[in-house]
Amino acid sequence: MAKELSIISKSTQKFDGKERVTGKAIYGHDIELPNMLHGMILRTKYPCANIISIDTSAAKALEGVACVITADDADVNMIGYKRDHPILKSKTVNCIRDEIAAVAATTKDIARKALSLIKVEYDVKKGIFNPFDALKENAPKINLAGKGLEQFANKNIAESFHYEHGELDVQKAKSKVIISKRYTLPRVAHSCLGTSNITADYSKLNGCLTLWASTQVPFLYQRDIAHALKMEPSKIRIIQPTIGGAFGSKLDMLPFEPICALLSIKTGKPVQILYNREEEFIASPTRQTMVIDLTTGADETSRFTFREVKITMDNGAYTSWGATTPFVMMQTFSSLYQVPACSFQADAVYTNNPFAGSFRGYGNPQATFSVERNINLMAKELGIGNDEIRLLNANYKGEITGQRLHYKTCGAKPALEKVIKESHYKVKEKKKNQGRYKTGIGLASMLHVGGGAKIYRSDGCGTRLKLDHYGYLTIFTGSSEIGQGSETILAMIAAEELGIPFEKIKVINTDTDVKPWDVGVHASRTSFVSGNSLLGAIKLIKEKLNKQVSKLLCVEAGDFSYKNGLIITGDKEIKIDKVVRDMHFGLPNELCVAEYFYEPPSDFQDKQFRGNVSGNYAFASQAIEVEVDTYTGNVKVLDVYVSQDVGRVLNPLGLQGQIEGGVVMGIGYALTEEMIFENGNLINPSFHGYKLLTSTDIPNIHFYPIETFDEAGPYGSKGVGEAPLIPTAPAIANAVANAIGVEFCSLPLTPEKVLKAIKEKTII
Amino acid sequence: MDFDVISPKTSRELLEVIGKYQDKNFRFGAGYTDLINDLNSKPQEDLTVINLAQLKDENFKTITINEKGARIGALVTASRLTDNSILKTNYPVLWEATNSVASMQIRETATIGGNICQASPSGDISCALVSLKAICEIIDSNGNVRNESLADFFKGVKKTSLKKNEILRNIFIPPNSGKKIKSGYIKIGTRLSMEISIISIAYHFQMDDGNKIINAGCSIGAVAPTIKFTEDACNYLIGKQFDSITEEDADNFACLVKKYAKPISDIRASAWYRSEVLFNSTKAIFDKYEIKN
Repeated sequence: MAKELSIISKSTQKFDGKERVTGKAIYGHDIELPNMLHGMILRTKYPCANIISIDTSAAKALEGVACVITADDADVNMIGYKRDHPILKSKTVNCIRDEIAAVAATTKDIARKALSLIKVEYDVKKGIFNPFDALKENAPKINLAGKGLEQFANKNIAESFHYEHGELDVQKAKSKVIISKRYTLPRVAHSCLGTSNITADYSKLNGCLTLWASTQVPFLYQRDIAHALKMEPSKIRIIQPTIGGAFGSKLDMLPFEPICALLSIKTGKPVQILYNREEEFIASPTRQTMVIDLTTGADETSRFTFREVKITMDNGAYTSWGATTPFVMMQTFSSLYQVPACSFQADAVYTNNPFAGSFRGYGNPQATFSVERNINLMAKELGIGNDEIRLLNANYKGEITGQRLHYKTCGAKPALEKVIKESHYKVKEKKKNQGRYKTGIGLASMLHVGGGAKIYRSDGCGTRLKLDHYGYLTIFTGSSEIGQGSETILAMIAAEELGIPFEKIKVINTDTDVKPWDVGVHASRTSFVSGNSLLGAIKLIKEKLNKQVSKLLCVEAGDFSYKNGLIITGDKEIKIDKVVRDMHFGLPNELCVAEYFYEPPSDFQDKQFRGNVSGNYAFASQAIEVEVDTYTGNVKVLDVYVSQDVGRVLNPLGLQGQIEGGVVMGIGYALTEEMIFENGNLINPSFHGYKLLTSTDIPNIHFYPIETFDEAGPYGSKGVGEAPLIPTAPAIANAVANAIGVEFCSLPLTPEKVLKAIKEKTII
Repeated sequence: MDFDVISPKTSRELLEVIGKYQDKNFRFGAGYTDLINDLNSKPQEDLTVINLAQLKDENFKTITINEKGARIGALVTASRLTDNSILKTNYPVLWEATNSVASMQIRETATIGGNICQASPSGDISCALVSLKAICEIIDSNGNVRNESLADFFKGVKKTSLKKNEILRNIFIPPNSGKKIKSGYIKIGTRLSMEISIISIAYHFQMDDGNKIINAGCSIGAVAPTIKFTEDACNYLIGKQFDSITEEDADNFACLVKKYAKPISDIRASAWYRSEVLFNSTKAIFDKYEIKN
């Protein structure tokens, strides 16, 4: 039974909400330091070329220019997940993002003018923009630092993953139906409202570098910056201003960040680089574009038999965290629904396109799209309902999957049942359509880590607590707030456990000089790890307080309750601040502080990628109803029914925000968003051309949380952040198939693509 | 972005400034929703912006409606137009088109004149006004006034008949002659707000008591270098009973409309798609099913 709680599970406004909506919050763009210079970056004109010469003399001579740097001026290491990425390019350029030079000047206008004065001579080459072309034997080696030939038997393979379980041949032989399809997934942008930004301030006096950076992984970032600049990590202080959206985009450290630091080091003055929207589209990470060749089978009882998948990812010119998305994708192929046998191969292939990065869902939206589309195709062949086949094969509590994921709790089936019921799936699926507008309904589910993911040496998070003489609590947490609402959850937990009102709680989480270690915001882990870490610290501080209370009130240390700033035992009570004062000014003359480091109980995976990698697992299903306009091909999403196993609802209001935001992102992925490239050049780098949905496009979103009370999570909760967008695109594609009978294998389902499909079907 | 600003307060001052700046580089600034974007993407040297925001001339700023028709000042904002219930009742096509421009925030500041003078082939308000057979009133720096039909005013992409010493003062819309109207604006795009039309169709049909079409206006946007008034298609409808229009009539009408389109392929859609959707959506004006946007 869940414990009776007074604050947890009650809707609570975001802790940082007032600052954000009143404009009080300080974003990176608001930072202005004395004598600050403005940095700008010269990028290549061509996606693939040799650089013959770079002449910066005219730029250097311009009044107001403090510094111009090229690769020759920088003694730095290569960056990126594979250390295959020079921060400034000197001999070759390999994608349209490539940085050739940078300037720092007294004004932005002068910096812009200086960039225009830098002369670069190129020897333009024909680029390779398709990974399948890059894999051909006669293709040139795209990234000269790549080790593909030695490691993966092809010079243009940047990274490769193989996983398997079960007896594939046996399962294939058992299969009544086998479906093979190729799925093509687009490149999409995070579209953060706050563009990329950094302010660097290097002190020549002590060799320390302070960076105001919108990173979501400050301690990994500190290490990466140190590696790039050949510095001591502890001489680098990372301060995170309010972050205007991240969604994974701020996991990788990118060249503009060490470049900005270099400009500050060279000039001895603070330097700031801010992207405009066009630069944000061109030079920020994206979701990984990929081709998924998937074969799946089911036996005569409609039980799944096997999945065999080969994924070709466009790695772009350099290797980012995006190349490791197969870690997550293989979980979906191996363990979403019961899968007796699985063979998984994923290769990230160098091209002259920009590199991708990490993006909410981390490969899972792509993987789930292919799996859930194939399930519908199998159901059709088997003559079983799309709902029935999913219920029959759904994951269950206690299941240990082929990949050794252990589902100690599992809301997969309840979530499916909920959306099937609430959406009236069975009735709507069979509805006959006439006339111009045709409606359809689709189902899809997903599996994602819910309790962190042990891929780094530690998946932990530290917390320090300070309770002051006036009863105010300061929480120093390693975790970061990037808009997901974890600060609020921490304050709620502290208020719940210590009986301290919100207005007396502060959360300090933006400064690596102050906050304890945490691996960063990723894998929907923040509330899970930082919540558990905080609970650990609260336990310790309560032990101290309880001891002092029993001394003060002359009672046995026992079951004290904490409410409204009081510590209560039986009919006696005492103000919490009085206890702190007594502890400090009287014996034992101690500060009321505590410190705790939480490491999740998850395992590292072995070399075959097997192991229980997360503290718990989140499951979700969506049923989505659409209306297709057969005159225009336009797909309108009418209603979205979302059910998600969240373990336990901590903050209903915050959770609803995550669900709605995720679904909207998923609808954009399904219908409208696509970065369009022509020969390596992005031709829609603006919100005019890149069709992010607007508030007027948002459908009704009905949310039904499933509570499974998983003991690993704080109060039984699981991570929620990434899940809501993962099943959206396949549910929409399944709904469109239900409406017009066309089975789409690529995204986005633009009106033109849909109309063409309707026409072709009509002609046939 | 660096430019001088000059803010005439009266019509006389405005015409004087225009006269004085004839050999200089100037742009008019009204709602600034397009101008600032233009200047951001193409910075200009020695530019003066003649700021119209402080102009106090009623000819530019008011909406006048009487039995002779409606006159809308060039500086009327899109929001003021959509707030006007008489315009909404009498010219639904104009109301729907104006309400489809960008977003509520932009409509608060964007002006009708600015939207027209941008001469975008996909201009929503312009497309509606062409279907309403609107007339431009243009004044030059010497105070001479000339009138020109809006359909003729557009000369190409971002090109109008305005000379350097002229400015658009207001737009006149003739009154409805029919007792009944069927009027609307179809905007095809990917999303509902902040969208530039892939194609657009503005129609305004007027019927007599017996539902006979006595006056027809239909124009199309984003399928040619300028917004096109589809005269032959409109003539085809005259004299027909609106209720009895057959599928064949609708087909013929859509074919005549399509004749005016010379769509191109660009990032937003292919010529094929524009052509298909123009035909389907035009036909749909006469569908028994309600049009949904």
